[in-house]
Amino acid sequence: MKKLAIILLVLVVLGLLVLFFVLAAGAGYNHLVKLSQGVDSQWAQVQNVYQRRADLIPNLVATVSGAANFEKSTLTEITAARASVGQVKIDPNTAPSDPAKLAAFDQAQGQLSSALSRLLVVVERYPDLKATENFRDLQAQLEGTENRISVERRDFNTAVQNYNTAVKSFPAVFYAGFFGFQTKPYFAASAGAETPPKVQFDFNKSAAAPAATNH
Amino acid sequence: MRRLCSILVLLLGFRLFAGEVIPPPPAAYFNDYAHVVSAGTAAQLDKTLEDFERQSSDQIVVAVFPKMQSDSSIEDYTVRVARSWQVGQKNKNNGAVLFVFVQDHKMFLQVGYGLEGVLPDALCKRIIDEQITPRFKAADFDGGLTAGVQAILAATKGEYKGTGTTVADSRPSHGSSSPFLGFGFIVLILIIIFFARGLGMFFPWLLLSSSGSSRGWGGGGFSSGGGGFSGGGGSFGGGGAGGSW
Repeated sequence: MKKLAIILLVLVVLGLLVLFFVLAAGAGYNHLVKLSQGVDSQWAQVQNVYQRRADLIPNLVATVSGAANFEKSTLTEITAARASVGQVKIDPNTAPSDPAKLAAFDQAQGQLSSALSRLLVVVERYPDLKATENFRDLQAQLEGTENRISVERRDFNTAVQNYNTAVKSFPAVFYAGFFGFQTKPYFAASAGAETPPKVQFDFNKSAAAPAATNH
Repeated sequence: MRRLCSILVLLLGFRLFAGEVIPPPPAAYFNDYAHVVSAGTAAQLDKTLEDFERQSSDQIVVAVFPKMQSDSSIEDYTVRVARSWQVGQKNKNNGAVLFVFVQDHKMFLQVGYGLEGVLPDALCKRIIDEQITPRFKAADFDGGLTAGVQAILAATKGEYKGTGTTVADSRPSHGSSSPFLGFGFIVLILIIIFFARGLGMFFPWLLLSSSGSSRGWGGGGFSSGGGGFSGGGGSFGGGGAGGSW
């Protein structure tokens, strides 16, 4: 009789322990789902701001090509870069889980960034074009879009970092893989530093250089 | 041993000061930390901006600093400062902050997500280039900021409906909670210092940690007389435009 009581007690304790772990895992699972969705929604924001930039390009090309004998090669480069951005097919609603896919996306966008920055350097040689209201508005929009891109990229990386930390932390590390929670790739800061797609829209600086040589 | 401690404290302090400084949230709508605007104009603009939040719920803040305390670019630094101040209402994100750095001759108008529609980048650039920059070039900070604020208000008017109150008005606990926090912190620091006297020789990091964290708190203990400004929880996404003079 006493033995049975002990066995019962042990069973109850074991049951409570199992219940505790299931509940804890459930809470942890929900937490991972929430973080994962946070990454996805942040990815949508990233796509938004890149799309915003892509949408500016037809207007930019139209404005610039209207200028007398504007260098056509710069414009074709931009159009080509924009087209190659469109070719990187990536789900806008789910953050990529494949680092290679994110890298391809990043590279295409980086090419567009550097094409844009080259265009804006070329525009320096066309003071009449630069002075038009239309171009100044476009320039402000492009600068603002670049700011938004860097903000959303940083927020995306923060969201991925929070998610990855949770996936790799105890106790989630034991069941995260089983439920299909893999770590997600970041935007590499170095990818931007190797090639020069870090766009410098600071016109005062680049404008100051030729002005200084003129005097 | 005590000397070693103080050297360590100094080094830590130096490291913190050499890095970036995110200023604490301002106590007013119009903040002239660089003392370039006359007191009359500052008070008037502050009143205008406070009334504007009552009317429209939009939070427009002006912050004039002597110098930018960061190595980042101005657009990157100011978006992080504006976010940490939480200017704008939480669900509308209808805040905007005009940052001016007098010695750098630079400014940036950060626009919250919710005002990007009425304050698009191109318009921000125009306000800066046409209203503010020419007056700043003539060292007319009063005129430049007045014209700039008027232009921002004209653009944002009518986008959102106000409740007749400000965040600072409807948050009576705001005034009392932060002194309490400050009081608790002072007590904590006193306790740490008290123990450090006796035991601290063996635990120099106690001294270090107290000096390190008190920096984050320092400057938060402003008194906001008559309402004042209090951020509503708005966020920023990098919209707006900058300029230099």
